[in-house]
Amino acid sequence: MTTIHPDQLTAQRLAGVIPSRLPDRPLDPVTGDGTLIDDPAVRAPLVLGGHSFGEVTDIICGYTENKPPRWWLPVFLLSANVAGLGGLFILYLVITGIGTWGLSNQVDWAWDITNFVFWIGIGHAGTLISAILCLLKQKWRTSINRSAEAMTIFAVICAATFPGIHIGRQWMAWMLFPIPNYNAIWPNFRSPLLWDVFAVSTYGTVSLLFWFMGMIPDFATLRDRADRRLRANPQGGPSVLPFVPVRADRLRALIYGFLSLGWRFSGRHWHRYEAAYLILAGISTPLVLSVHSIVSFDFATSILPGWHTTIFPPYFVAGAIFGGFAMVLMLLIPARELYPHMKDFITLRHLENMSKVILTTGMIVGFAYSMEFFIAWYGGNVYELFAFENRAFGPYWWAYWTMISCNVISPQLFWFRRCRTSPVIIFLVSLAVTIGMWFERFVIIVTSLHRAFLPSEWHMFHPSLVDIAIFVGSCGVFLMLFCLFLRFLPVFAMAELKAVMPQASPHAHGHDHAHPSRASVVGAHGDRRGDAPGDPNGHPAPPPPTGGH
Amino acid sequence: MTQLDQCPSTMKGEKHKPGKADLAAVPRDVSADLARSAGTVNGQAAWRSVDELADDAGFRDFLEREFPAGASELRLAEEADGADAASGGGATRRDFLRVMGASIALAGAATVPGCRRPNHTIMTYSRVVPEEIIPGKPLYYATSMPRPDGGAEGLLVETHEGRPTKLEGNPLHPVSAGKISSWALSSILGLYDPDRLKFPTYANPTRGRIEATWDDFRTWAGGNLSAFATNGGAGLAFVVDKRQSPAWRAVTARLRARFPNAAWVPYGPGECAASIEGTRLAFGRSMREVPTITKEGTRVVLSLDREFLSREPGELPNQRNFAATRLVLGPSDSMSRLYCVESGFSLTGGQADHRLRLAPSRVAAFAVALAGYLLPKLGAPDAGGLFGALGATMPEGNAARRFMQECADDLLAPENRGKSLILAGESQPPAVHALVAAMNAALGNIGVSVVYHPLSEDEAADSLAGLGRLAAAMRAGEVDTLVCVGTNPVYDAPGDLDFAELFAAVPRTITLSVDRNETEAASTWSLNAAHYLESWGDTEAIDGTVAPVQPMIAPLYEPALSELEFLAMLAEPDPTASVDGFALVGVAWRAAYPDTSASGGFDRTWRRALHDGVVPGTARRPEAPTVDQGAVARAIGAMRLPEAPSADRLEACFVVGNVGDGRYANIPWLQELPEVGTRTVWDNPALLSPATAKALGLEPAGYSEGDPSAIYTKPKYPQARLATITIDGRTVTAPVWILPGMADWTVQLTLGYGRTVAGRVGDGVGVNVYPLRGSAMGGTNRAAWGATVARAEGSYMIASTQNHWSMEGRTSIVRAVDLPAFQRHGAEVQVVMDHFYGTRANINFAERLGELGHTPPTKSIYDNPFNRSDADPDPANVDEGNRDYRGNPTPPAYTQRPQWGMTIDQTTCTGCGVCTIACYSENNIPVVGKKEVAKGREMSWIRVDRYFTGDVHDPASMLHQPVACVHCENAPCETVCPVNATVHGPDGLNYMTYNRCIGTRYCANNCPYKVRRFNFFDYGVAKFNGDYLGHDLIDKVGAFIPGQEGITGSGAHNTINPNLIPPRLREKIDEISKMQKNPDVTVRSRGVMEKCSYCIQRINAAKVECKLADIKGPDGRTIVPDGFFTTACAQACPSGAISFGDILDEASEVFNRRSNARSYALLGYLNTRPRTTHMVRVMNPNPKLVDAARRHSWDDPFHHAPAAHGDGHEEGGAGHADDDHGGGVGKDREAPGGDAGHGPASFRYDRRKLIEDRGYAGSLRVLSAPGGAAT
Repeated sequence: MTTIHPDQLTAQRLAGVIPSRLPDRPLDPVTGDGTLIDDPAVRAPLVLGGHSFGEVTDIICGYTENKPPRWWLPVFLLSANVAGLGGLFILYLVITGIGTWGLSNQVDWAWDITNFVFWIGIGHAGTLISAILCLLKQKWRTSINRSAEAMTIFAVICAATFPGIHIGRQWMAWMLFPIPNYNAIWPNFRSPLLWDVFAVSTYGTVSLLFWFMGMIPDFATLRDRADRRLRANPQGGPSVLPFVPVRADRLRALIYGFLSLGWRFSGRHWHRYEAAYLILAGISTPLVLSVHSIVSFDFATSILPGWHTTIFPPYFVAGAIFGGFAMVLMLLIPARELYPHMKDFITLRHLENMSKVILTTGMIVGFAYSMEFFIAWYGGNVYELFAFENRAFGPYWWAYWTMISCNVISPQLFWFRRCRTSPVIIFLVSLAVTIGMWFERFVIIVTSLHRAFLPSEWHMFHPSLVDIAIFVGSCGVFLMLFCLFLRFLPVFAMAELKAVMPQASPHAHGHDHAHPSRASVVGAHGDRRGDAPGDPNGHPAPPPPTGGH
Repeated sequence: MTQLDQCPSTMKGEKHKPGKADLAAVPRDVSADLARSAGTVNGQAAWRSVDELADDAGFRDFLEREFPAGASELRLAEEADGADAASGGGATRRDFLRVMGASIALAGAATVPGCRRPNHTIMTYSRVVPEEIIPGKPLYYATSMPRPDGGAEGLLVETHEGRPTKLEGNPLHPVSAGKISSWALSSILGLYDPDRLKFPTYANPTRGRIEATWDDFRTWAGGNLSAFATNGGAGLAFVVDKRQSPAWRAVTARLRARFPNAAWVPYGPGECAASIEGTRLAFGRSMREVPTITKEGTRVVLSLDREFLSREPGELPNQRNFAATRLVLGPSDSMSRLYCVESGFSLTGGQADHRLRLAPSRVAAFAVALAGYLLPKLGAPDAGGLFGALGATMPEGNAARRFMQECADDLLAPENRGKSLILAGESQPPAVHALVAAMNAALGNIGVSVVYHPLSEDEAADSLAGLGRLAAAMRAGEVDTLVCVGTNPVYDAPGDLDFAELFAAVPRTITLSVDRNETEAASTWSLNAAHYLESWGDTEAIDGTVAPVQPMIAPLYEPALSELEFLAMLAEPDPTASVDGFALVGVAWRAAYPDTSASGGFDRTWRRALHDGVVPGTARRPEAPTVDQGAVARAIGAMRLPEAPSADRLEACFVVGNVGDGRYANIPWLQELPEVGTRTVWDNPALLSPATAKALGLEPAGYSEGDPSAIYTKPKYPQARLATITIDGRTVTAPVWILPGMADWTVQLTLGYGRTVAGRVGDGVGVNVYPLRGSAMGGTNRAAWGATVARAEGSYMIASTQNHWSMEGRTSIVRAVDLPAFQRHGAEVQVVMDHFYGTRANINFAERLGELGHTPPTKSIYDNPFNRSDADPDPANVDEGNRDYRGNPTPPAYTQRPQWGMTIDQTTCTGCGVCTIACYSENNIPVVGKKEVAKGREMSWIRVDRYFTGDVHDPASMLHQPVACVHCENAPCETVCPVNATVHGPDGLNYMTYNRCIGTRYCANNCPYKVRRFNFFDYGVAKFNGDYLGHDLIDKVGAFIPGQEGITGSGAHNTINPNLIPPRLREKIDEISKMQKNPDVTVRSRGVMEKCSYCIQRINAAKVECKLADIKGPDGRTIVPDGFFTTACAQACPSGAISFGDILDEASEVFNRRSNARSYALLGYLNTRPRTTHMVRVMNPNPKLVDAARRHSWDDPFHHAPAAHGDGHEEGGAGHADDDHGGGVGKDREAPGGDAGHGPASFRYDRRKLIEDRGYAGSLRVLSAPGGAAT
C-alpha cells in the first residue's frame, strides 16, 4: 500500500507526530453526549469530539507521554502497598501453612477458590469483547477492548495466584503440570483441577498474545513519537527519576521500540496483523466458553449437592461475562472521568451497551439461580433440596441474599434508560454486581461444603485475617496493574479507533473495519447524516498512518 | 571400665545427667559444692570418675550391678532357692542365663531386645542377636497394666528394636481377651511423656527446690526414716494407689509389718465405693460385683445409673459380653433388652432400648419402688422387714411409674426369670446397691449374670473416708512423714479436707510419681517413678487372674524405681540397699505358685506366664453369697432421700471422663477424644439438661430450642456461659454446656480436669471439680444433693468435634429398626428392576430402609476404563451370574484375592471411642489442640458420629456411627485429585500417597463421608504446645486480643494458637515423643491429606508373613487367612463391632457380615460402593412400652419407621410391589444365622498353632477367636 496523502501536515498529524488542537464538547440534554440517538436511521457516532486522527493520536499517546494526572500516583501507591501487603500475607501463608486460613476439614475450599473463580470470571469480559464482538463486527468494542483485555490479563494474574497458593505444599505446585519426571507419574487427566490448569494457562496465553499483538502498532506509534522528539532534542527530555541519568524519551524509544517488534506500518504488516487478529479472535472465542465451563467443572463433576449440577457451565459463563462487564465498567467509568478526552472514546453509548449486556447476563444468572431450586425440588433428592434450602435460609442466608439482591435485583435498574446512561448509577450497579458475583462463588462453594451429606460433619467457615488480607491484596495487585496500564501502555487501540471514526468511512458502504482500501480512499462522503460529527477538515479518511514511504 | 556388656539403651545419652530442658524446669541449684555442704543431700554424682568413686557404696553398687554381668541375680537365686533346694543345688548365674536364654528363644520374652534393667543384661544386642530379631519387624511381648480403678488389663506390646510403640489387648488374658481400653491404649504416651519426672528433686528449706539423685534420697531416708523403725511407724502415713497383686501384697505386707503404726490409705479418687459398701451391707463382707453377662443367661438388663459399659474395671468384659447378647445376625436370633434409668446421658444410656432420665436421688427412689413392686411378686420371703421398708417412696410421674412397672413385669416374665441383671450405679447410695443385690438374688441372677469376688482389705477400703481420717490426723499434727505413691491427693482430695494446706504443713512429704503432678510439686521429695512399661511387677484382674508386668524398655530416666520397688525399699531396714522388681515378683510368685508336677515346675510356670501374659488358673472361683435381707431392710430404712431437686437445690453427679480421675490429663489423645454425648474435647463443662439451662439462664450463647446446634453456628467459637456451682459451701466456677437427655435439675460434673501441674498438655485444661466433692456424701462419692448453680460473669469457649446434634431427618444414615421388624422382614430380598436400562438389583433388608429401596439400581451406560480393575466388579454382575445387562458374559468379578473390606455393626457399637485412640496410636495421628478442633481440624481417621433422635429434652435415643474412610470402589476422591495422589489399589484399597499429595483438598471436598483429614499445619512435626521464638512477647500481645477467654487445652499458650507461628520458629517434636511413633507409618508433613488406610502397613506385613509362612488357599495361591491380622480399630473394639478381612473369603467374618441382611452401604445411593459397610442398628423395645404407631411400624418398617428411627421415611418409592421373597442368588447369603465365621470354610488355619510354633514374633496382631470375640 503506497498511498501517501498529499497534505504533509495532515499526514504528520495522522502519524501523531504533530500535536493538534483539542476542542471540548458540551453534553447534549437529549442525546447525551450525542451517542444516544434513538433514531434507527442514524448511526450513532462511536468517537466524539470531532478529533482528527492526529488529535486522537495525541490524546491517547498523551496518556503515557504527559505527566500523569494528580490522582494517579496516590492511587498507584495505595494499590501497590495493598498488593505488597497481600504479598507479605502470602509469604506468611506459604511459610506457616494453609491453616492460617479459616478452612476446616469440612470446608476445604472457601475464599481461595472463591477468589480464583471470581477473578477468572472477571477476565471473561476482555475476551468476549475482543474476540466475540470482533467476530460479530460490533464496532463499539474498539474503544474498550484494549482496557478490557488488559483487565483480563490482570484478572488472570490474580486468579492464577490462588490455585498456586491454595495448595498445601505450594512448593510442589509444579506437580500440577504434565512435566516428565523421573518416576513417570503423570497428573490425573480425569481431574477437573488439571483441566483448570490447561484451561487457565491456555486462556492466559491467548489473552496475552491477543492483547500484546493488538498493541504492536500503538507501540510503534509511541516509539516513533519518542524518536521524533529525540531527533528534535537529543537530550531526550527530562530524566525518568531524579538522579537517574536515563531520559524518558530514550527509555520510551528503547522499550516501545523493543515491544513494537520492528513494526513499520507497512501494508504487509497491516495485512498480516489483520489476519492474525482474526485468527486469534477465532481461537479466543471458544475459550470464552471453555474456560469458565471448565472452571465450573470443578464443581459440576463433583458429587456434592449444590455443586453437582449440569447447569453450571452455561451459568458460569453467563456469570463470568456478567461480572466481567461490571468490572470493565467499574474501571472505565472513573477513568473516563479522570482522563482528558476519554469520554470522547468511551461514550455513553458504550456504557449503555455494556449495561445491556449486564442486564441480559444478569437475567441468565437469575434464571440459573431459580432453575437450581426447581431442579433440586423436582429431583426429589433430600440432600439436594436441603443444599438449596440451606443456601437461602441456612446460616449463610445473608450471603445468599446479598448475591440475589446484587446479581438479580440490582441489574433490573437497567431496564430504565436513565439508569443505563447515568455513569454514577452504572458504576454503583457494577459495584453491586461485582460484590454479588464474588458472593455467588462464595455461596456455591461454602454453603455447599459446610452442610453436606452427614450432619455430623456440618461445620461453619469463618474467614481469618489472612483470608481477607490476601483477597484485598489481590484487588491491590489488580488495581496497581491497571494503574500501570493506564500510565504506560496505549489505552486505546488507536488504529482501530480511527477506523470507526467518520473519517475512516467516507462513503455509504459502511465498512465495518478500519481496513481501508483504495476504493474507500477515493470514495466520496457517504452516510453522514444527522449531527454526526465529521472531520472538520472534510478530508477523506486516510488509511492508517504508515511509517514508511 | 568397659561398658561393653551394658545395654546400649542405657549407655546412650546421659542417663544420670538431666538434659538442658529439664534443668530449666527446676531451679538448678545443685552442684558439687552443694553436695558437699548440705548435710542431708549427699550429691554423689554418678558421673564422677572412677577414681573418685573408688571406694564408696555407690561404686560398690555399680560394680555389683555392672560387673560381672548378671551377678546380682545370684541374690534372687539365693532367695528363691529356699523353696527350690531340690532342683540341683540352687540356681546360679548360669541357671539364670539358661532361663533367660530359653525365654528369649522360646517365648520372645523379657530380655530379647536387650533393653532391660542393666543388672539383667546378659548379651548385648549388637553381639549376639537372637534369630527372631529382624530389624524393621516388630516383636510382641505380653505384659499387663493395673487399672486406676482396680483390676487390670492384659496387654501385648508392640516393640520395634526394643522400643515399645503400641499397646494391644492380650488375647490370652481372660479379662482383656484381645481388647483394650482407651486408658490402657494411651498409657504408652505416659511412658513417652516429655514432661515426665526425670530425676528426684528435693525442697530444700533454705534453697528452694533443687535437683537431687536417688542416692541422695536413699541417704536422706536412711537418716530421716530411721526413727520410724523403732516406733513402728507412728507419725508415718502412706497414701498409695489402689493395687492388688501377689507381689504388691507381699511388699505392702512387709512394709506394714515394719511400720504397724503407720497410717495406710489405699486411695483411688475415681473408685466406686458405694458398690463395695453395698455388698458389705447385703452380704456382710465387702465384695466386688462382677457382671457375667452371657447370651444365654442375660435377657434383660436394668441399669440404675450404672455406666457398666465404660470407665469401670470390668468395662472390657462387660462390653464384650453385652455385645454378644445384642448380636443379631439372623431374624431368628434373640437379643437382650436394656433398660436404663440414669441422670446423665452415658454410653450405656445410648445403648438402652428404654431410657428414663431421673436425678440420682430419684433413681434411688425408682430402685426402692421397683423392689417394692418386684420382691413381693417373686414370692420371696419377707425376711427382716424388707418389704415394709420399701414402698415408702415412688418415682414421680406416670411415665416413670409405667416404666418401672413394665420393666418389672419384663423382669418377672417367665422366660426372663433368672436371666436378667440389675445394676446400680456410682451415684447410688450403698443401700440401693444392697437392695439391687437383694433383687438380683430374688430374681435368681446371682451366680448366673452377676457374681461376686471377695475383696482384700486394701481394695475394700473407702478411699475418701480413709483420706478423711488421714486429714484429721494431719490436722492434729500426728503425721510427721507422708508418703504418696502413685497418688495425687493434693489435687484430687475432697474439697472439705483442705488437703493441700494440710499437706504443706506436714514436715516431710515424699511423693513417687511417673508424671508431674500437684502432690509431687508440693512435696519435700519428688521422686521419679518407673512407668509400668519400664518395670517388673504383676497385676490382678477383677476375676483374680494374675498377670506379669514385664519391662519393655529400660527406664527412660534412670535411675527410677517402680512403685513396687519403692515400697520394697522403704520396707527394708536399709533404704540404700538395692531393690529389684524382678526379684520381688519372683519371690512373691514362688510363694504364691508352688511347684507342682502338674505345672512343670516354677520355671515353666514363669516362662509360660511371661509368654502368655497371664498365669493360668489364677482366676478366682466366683462366689454367689446370700443376701441378708434384714441388713438390707435396715439400710433402706436408714436411707433418707431428699426432696425432688428443684431450681435452688440441684443434684450433682460426678463422672469420670476421658482423662480418668485426672491421672491421664497430660495425655493428648485422651484430651482430644470426644466426650460421650457432647463430643466436646479438651474440657469438662458442667452439663445441664436444655430445660434446666434455660430455666437458670445458662444456655450457651445463641441457643435456641428449635435448633440446639445454633450454638455452633452463630459465633466463631461456641461460647458457654460460666456458672458458679456450690455444694455445701464449696464453690467452683465452671462453664455450662447442655446435653439433651440429662435429668432436669441435675448437673453432671466430670472429674479429672483443671490440673495445674500436669505438663504441657494437661495444665489448665478444664475446671477442677474435686473441691466440690465432700469426703462423706451420703455414702456415695459420685453424687451430691443440694447444689446451687448460679450464673457468673463471662463466657468460655467450647470445642466440639461434632457441631450438629440430629440426623436432620436423614434416616438412611444411621438406620435403626426394632427387633420385631427385623424378625419379620429381615430375610426378605427385594428385587428392584429398571426395565429401561435393564438393570436389576437384589436389595436386602438394610438397603430397603434407605434410598436404594426407592431408586433403580445405578448402572453406568459406559464402561469406565478406570472401573475395570480387578477390584471392581460391576454390581449388576454379582447377582446376575457374570452377565452384563445385555446378557453378554463379563469377566468374573474380583479375579484377585484378597479384597479387603470392613463392616461396622451399629447395634453393638457403644460409641466408646477406643477405635479412635487405637488409630491414633497405630497411625501416628497428631493431636491438634482445642482451638484447632474448634475450627474443625481434628485429625482422627476414624470418628464416632453421635446423633440424637426425637425431642431435644428427652431424646429417644443416642445413635453412634463410627465413620472412617470407607474405601469406595467408585471413589469420588480419586477422580478429582489432579496429581494422582489418591488412587485405587488392586485389593480394593483407596491409597493415599503422601509424597505425591500437594494438598489441593479437592478430594476432601468431594468425599461424601468427610473422612479426609488435612494437615493444615505441621501438626506431626512440631511439638505440641512447644516453645517458639518470641513466645513471651506474643503471649503478652495476645493477651489483649478480645475473645480469647476460656481457651484451654493449650497449656501455656492460651492466647495465641502456636500453630500460627512459622514452623522454623517453633520447637520441633522432642526425641522422647518421637519414640512412640510407629516406624511403619509415615509422619505426615504439613499440607498433605491423610485418611484411614485400612492399616495398610499391617496388610502388607501380613501378606509378607503369609507368603513366608507359605499359607495357601485351596487354589494354591497365597492367602491371608481371616483373623491373621486386623486393623487397629477392629482389634481394639471392645464390643467387636468392627470386622475387617477379605470379603472374598467366604469363611471370614467380614464376608458373613457384609452379606448379612443388616449390612448397608452408607450413602450407597451415590454409587460410591464403599468397602466399609455399616449394619443396621437393631433395638429391642418392650412392646408394652412403645406406642401403637411404633408397633405398627414393625409390620412395615420401610414406610413407617419406629420413633428411634428419627423422623421416619418420608414416602415410599417404586418397586415395593415386586418384592421377591426368597428369589435371587443372594438368598443363601441372607441368613447366615448366628453362625458367622463357621460357614463353609474353604480354608482353616490354626492361629494358636502358629503362635505356639513361632512365638509372637511370627504372628501379627492377633484376634481372640475366628469371627471375633462377639460371635
